[in-house]
Amino acid sequence: MWWYVAKRLLQTIPVFLGATLILFILLKLRPGDPILNLAGNKPVSPEVRDALAAQYHLDDPLFVQWFQFAKNALTFNFGETFAGQPVFDLIKQTFPVTVVLALMALTIDAVLGIGIGTIAGLRRNGWFDSSALVVSLLLISIPIFVVGFVMQLIFGVKLGWTSPTVGSDWSVGDLLLPAIVLAIANFAYTIRLTRTSVAENLSADHVRTARAKGLSERLVIRNHVLRNSLVPVVTYIGINLGSLMAGAIITETIFNVPGIGNAAYTAIAKGETATVVAIVTFMVMVYVLMSLLVDLIYAVLDPRIRYV
Amino acid sequence: MSETRVGQERFVAPIEETPLRAIDAVNVDEVPENQWKEAWKRLRTSFLFWFAVLILAVIAAMIFFPSLFTDVPANTTPKLENSFGPASDGHPFGFTRQGEDVWANAVYGARASVAVGVLTTIFTTILGMVTGAIAGFYGGITDSLISRFSDIFFSIPLLLACIVVISVLNNTFPDRGFWGSVFVVVMALALFAWPQITRQMRGAVLEIKNLEFVDAATAIGASKMKNLRRHIVPNALAPVIVTATISLGVFIVAEASLSFLGLGLPQGVASWGNDLSDAQLQVRSGQHLNVMYVPAATLAITVLGFILLGEAVREALDPKARKK
Amino acid sequence: MNDSAPLLKVDNLSVGFRAGKEILTAVDEANLTIYPGQTIAIVGESGSGKSTLAHAVIGLLPGTGKVTGGSIQFEGKDISHAGKGEILALRGSSIGLVPQDPMSNLNPLWRVGSQIKEALVANGVATGAAADKRVVELLEEAGLPDAERRARQYPHEFSGGMRQRALIAMGLAARPKLLIADEPTSALDVTVQKQILDHLDKLTDDLGVAVMLITHDLGLAAERADHLVVMYRGRVVESGPARAILQNPEHPYTKRLVSKAPSLASQRLSSIKARAEVREQAVQTAAEIAAEVAHSSTEFGEGKADILQVDDLTKVFSLRGKKPWEKIPFTAVDSVSFKLKRGTTTAIVGESGSGKSTVARMVLDLLPPSSGRVLFDGHDLRELKTKQERLRLRRQMQPVFQNPYASLDPLYSIYKSIEEPLRTHDVGTGKQRETRVRELLDRVALPTTVMSRYPGELSGGQRQRVAIARALALEPEVVICDEAVSALDVLVQAQILELLNDLQAELGLSYLFITHDLAVVRQIADNVLVMQDGKVVEAAPVSEVFDNPREDYTRKLLDAIPGASIELGK
Repeated sequence: MWWYVAKRLLQTIPVFLGATLILFILLKLRPGDPILNLAGNKPVSPEVRDALAAQYHLDDPLFVQWFQFAKNALTFNFGETFAGQPVFDLIKQTFPVTVVLALMALTIDAVLGIGIGTIAGLRRNGWFDSSALVVSLLLISIPIFVVGFVMQLIFGVKLGWTSPTVGSDWSVGDLLLPAIVLAIANFAYTIRLTRTSVAENLSADHVRTARAKGLSERLVIRNHVLRNSLVPVVTYIGINLGSLMAGAIITETIFNVPGIGNAAYTAIAKGETATVVAIVTFMVMVYVLMSLLVDLIYAVLDPRIRYV
Repeated sequence: MSETRVGQERFVAPIEETPLRAIDAVNVDEVPENQWKEAWKRLRTSFLFWFAVLILAVIAAMIFFPSLFTDVPANTTPKLENSFGPASDGHPFGFTRQGEDVWANAVYGARASVAVGVLTTIFTTILGMVTGAIAGFYGGITDSLISRFSDIFFSIPLLLACIVVISVLNNTFPDRGFWGSVFVVVMALALFAWPQITRQMRGAVLEIKNLEFVDAATAIGASKMKNLRRHIVPNALAPVIVTATISLGVFIVAEASLSFLGLGLPQGVASWGNDLSDAQLQVRSGQHLNVMYVPAATLAITVLGFILLGEAVREALDPKARKK
Repeated sequence: MNDSAPLLKVDNLSVGFRAGKEILTAVDEANLTIYPGQTIAIVGESGSGKSTLAHAVIGLLPGTGKVTGGSIQFEGKDISHAGKGEILALRGSSIGLVPQDPMSNLNPLWRVGSQIKEALVANGVATGAAADKRVVELLEEAGLPDAERRARQYPHEFSGGMRQRALIAMGLAARPKLLIADEPTSALDVTVQKQILDHLDKLTDDLGVAVMLITHDLGLAAERADHLVVMYRGRVVESGPARAILQNPEHPYTKRLVSKAPSLASQRLSSIKARAEVREQAVQTAAEIAAEVAHSSTEFGEGKADILQVDDLTKVFSLRGKKPWEKIPFTAVDSVSFKLKRGTTTAIVGESGSGKSTVARMVLDLLPPSSGRVLFDGHDLRELKTKQERLRLRRQMQPVFQNPYASLDPLYSIYKSIEEPLRTHDVGTGKQRETRVRELLDRVALPTTVMSRYPGELSGGQRQRVAIARALALEPEVVICDEAVSALDVLVQAQILELLNDLQAELGLSYLFITHDLAVVRQIADNVLVMQDGKVVEAAPVSEVFDNPREDYTRKLLDAIPGASIELGK
C-alpha cells in the first residue's frame, strides 16, 4: 500500500512540472512587452521596469524563469492583477465559494447519478432505464450555459423561488440552483457509467455465487453488485472535480457567484492574461491534488490495487 | 455395490429421438460476416442509427445548401429597424437585437460549429491513435514517456486549457478570418483532448498484442510494423471510433461554451456559440427568447445526432452490452 | 436404504431460453434422481445442457432461462416454480453450489473469510465472533493450511487451488443436503484437481452430503460417482450405474465418449498400436525429405536426423519486487535440453508455471532465450543474420496455439487467414494461392465453403483446423502445438488429434506438442519431457513414462489422470 502511495506521489511531480511548463510557455507566447503586459499596458518608469524585471526574473534564461514559475505556483505567489491586488488574495477571497459550490454539485451528482444509474442498471431495458438514457443523452447535448439560463429563467425569474443571481453576500441556499446546473453537466455521464457498471456486475460469476450462498437479494445487491460497481464510479466522480471547476467558470458567471470561476471570467473579459494563467495554474494544482486523492481512495476501495 | 435404486435404473434414450450429429460439422447456411459487416447488418435495422443519420443529413444539407432552409442570403447587413422584429413570412423566428434573422443565423452558424467538431475529432483521433498504438505496442520507455506526456495534458481540464490557449492566441492573432478562427479553436481543443483517445487506444493495443493471432503472424514472418498495421490496429479501432463519434458532439458543445466566455470563434464568424453568446442579454429580461432557443435547439439536435450515431455504432459493435 | 425417499427427483424437466420470439430448449425432458448422501455425475460436452440443468435445480438460471415443463422435487416438494422466498430458504442451507471458475467466483473486494461468514449469517448458522471462529474451522476442513491468516486475506492473494478450497468451504458452510459441483476442478492443474476432488469426496462422505457433479470428463465422472447421467444436446441419452455404462455403453453417443475420452483411451492398447503405425510412416516420409534437403543447396537446413536440437535453454524473467526498485530474477526455464527426431513427436508435459509454453515460444523464436541455444536442422536460430535467412526459418517451423478464439484474427476471412503466410512469403500468383488454400482446407477436412467465413462463425474445433491449415501453408517440417487441443471438447479433441496424426504420417511432419494433459500424450507422442518449475524432471519414450515412470512427480501426474484405474470392457 505504502509503495503504491509513494509511487503515485512520485508520478505527480512530472505531471505538475509538465503542466506548469505548458502554462508557462503559453504565458511566454503572449506578444508584446512582458513588462507592459504585467503592468496592464500602462506606461511605466524605468525604475518600476527594472523592479518588475527583477521580481519576475525576466532577464534570466527561460529555463530559470520556468523554474521560478513552478516555485511561485507551489508557494502560491501568483503575482498581481492590473489593479495591484495579489492574485493569491483574489483566489483566497473567491475560492471558498467555489469549493462549497463544487462540493454541493459533487454531492448532487453522486447521489442522483449513482441512484438513477443503479436503478437503470438493475432494471435494464425497462421504461426507467430507457427514459434515463434519453434524458442523459439530452443533457450531454445541451451546452451547460443554456441549461443554466433556462433554469435561471424558470426558477429565478418566472417562479421566483430563488434569486436569479447570487451576489457577494452568498448563502448556501443561494448556491443550490447553480450547484444543480453545475451537477447536470456531469451527472449524465455518472448515470451511464453506474448503469454499465451495475449491469456488468449483475451478471458476474461471483454474484451468482453470492446468490447460491442463500443471501437475500438485498444483500446481494448491496454487498456484491453495488459495492463492486462503486469502484469505477467513485473514481470517475473524483476526477470530475476538474471539469466541475471548469464548469464553475460558466455557472458562476451566469448566476454571478463571487467564486474563482467568476474571477477568471472577469480577467478574461479584461484581457488580463497573466491573471487568467495564474488562476488556471491554481485550478490545475487543485485538480492534480484531487486526482492523487482519488487514486488513494481507489486503493482503499479495491484491495487488488494496493499490491500493484 | 448396492443394488440399483428406484429412479436410477439403467436408461438408454431411444436412438431415433436422439440422433447423433457429425462431430463438429460446419453449418453451411450461415452468411459470411465479420465484425464490421455484422455491425452494419445490425445498424441497418436500428432505429437509433437511422434517426441519427436523418438528423446529420439535415445538418449536412444546412451546411452545404443553406438556401434550402432560408431565403435570407449569407452576410446580409442587418437593419436596425428589424431589432426584435416578430416572426414574419420568410423569418419564422423573428429577428435579433441587431436585426438579424434568427433562423438564418442558426442555418449559417452550422458550418463553423460542425467544422470545429469534425476537425477537432480528426486531429485528436489521429494523434491519439498514433501515440496510443505506439505506447501500447512498444511498451517500456516509449510507453512511459508517452503515458506521462499524455498525463500532463490530461491534468489540465479541457475547458480551462482552452481558455488559456485561446486568450493567449487572441492577443497574438487578433484578426484571422473564418478558417483561421476555426483553426485556433480546433488546435486548442485538440491539444488537450487527445490523451483520452491515446489511453483508450493504448489499452486496446495492449490487450490485442498478446493475443495468439499476433504471435501466429510473427511466426509466419510478418514484421512488427506489418503486424501493427494489419492485425493490431484494425482490431483496436472499434472502441476508438465510438469514442470519436461521441466526442465530436462534445467538441461542438465545448466550442459553444468557449464562445459564451468570449473565447470561441470571434464575433464576426457565424456560429451557434456566438448566437448563444449574443443571446445572454435577452435571458435576464425574459423576453425575445427565440434568440436563445433557436440556436440552442439546432446545436443540441446536431450534438444529439452525433452522440446517437456513436451509441448506435457502439451497440452494433457490441450487442452483448445492452442485451444481456 | 432402498426404501429411503429420494433427496432430489428431476422429472421430465425442460428448460428454455427466450431469444427474440423463439424459445431455445436447453434441457429437454431430463430425468434424474439423487438419494441422500449419494454422489451422481452429469457428463456432457459444452452446450449439452448439463450446467443449465444444475442451475435450474438451485433456481439460478441466467437471463431469460425458464423452466418450461416437468418438475424438480427436492425432498418431495416441487421447487421448479417456487417463489423467491422459498428458493432463498433452500439455497445455501439445503442446496449448496461449488462453481466452475475459482478465479471469477469470489468477490475480489471482500476478504475470503467475510465471504464465507456471509453464508453462515444468511443461513442463520452463526453470527458475530462465533461465525468468525466457524469460518476458520470451515477453511481448515476444506484443507486450507494456516486458515486463520487466510481468512483475513483477499482472493487475489490465493492461488487457484486455494480459491477452489475456499469455494468448497463456502458451499458446505451451511451444511446443505445437496452440493452441486459444477466442473469444480476443470480450471485447475491435474494434481491439484485430484487433491481437491479427493478432499471433496471425503468431506461429503463424512458429512453425508449428496453431490451432483457436473463434468465433461467421463473418466473423472466414473471415478467419483456411482451413478452417471450422460447428456447430449439437452437430452439425457443414457443413465445408470457408472461401471455398467463404462463397460457396456449402449447409446451411440456414450459409446463414442467411452472410446474417445483421453483419460480412458490412454490405457488402450489400440491407441498405442495406432500411434506406432503413424510414426513408422512419418519417419519414412521425413527421411525422404531429409535426403532431399541434404542434397539441395536451396533448402534451409542440412537434413540432420534431429531436426530440432535444444541445448541448455534458459529463460530468466525479471519480476517486479515489493519495492519499486527491486527486481527479482525468476527462472521460468532452467537449462532445458532435448532433441526432436524427424517425423516424430516430442511432448512437453507440465502443469501451469512449469515453463513449457516458454520453451515453445523460445523454440519459435518469439522470445529470446537468456542462455542456451536452439538448433534447427543444424542452424542456430540466434545466429541467423539476414532477414532472408530468418524468413526461411519461419517457413520451416510453424505454431498452432491453444486458444481457438484468439488464434485467428477476427477481421480476417478464413481465406485471408490461410493465405497470409503465402502472401507474406510471396508464394505464387493469386490464382495459385487460391488453389493452395483450397488444398489446405481439404487436408484439414473443412469444406471450401468456409473460405469466405470469419472466425466468429466457426466452432473451436473448426478454428483449430483453420489454424492448422495456416500452419501447413508454407510446408513446414516442424509444427509446434502449444496446448492445441486443450480448450476443445473431448470428441472434437480426439478428432483433431487424429487429424494431426494423419498429417504427420502423410507429410512426415515433426511435432513439438506442449500439453498439461498427460492423458492425450499417448495418442500423439513418441517421447515425453516432463517439466516442473522450469526444469525437465523426466525425459523418456512414451511407453516408459507410462509403464515405468522413474520420478515421483511423473507418477503423481499419472495417478492424477482421472479414471485411469477403471477397468473397461472390450
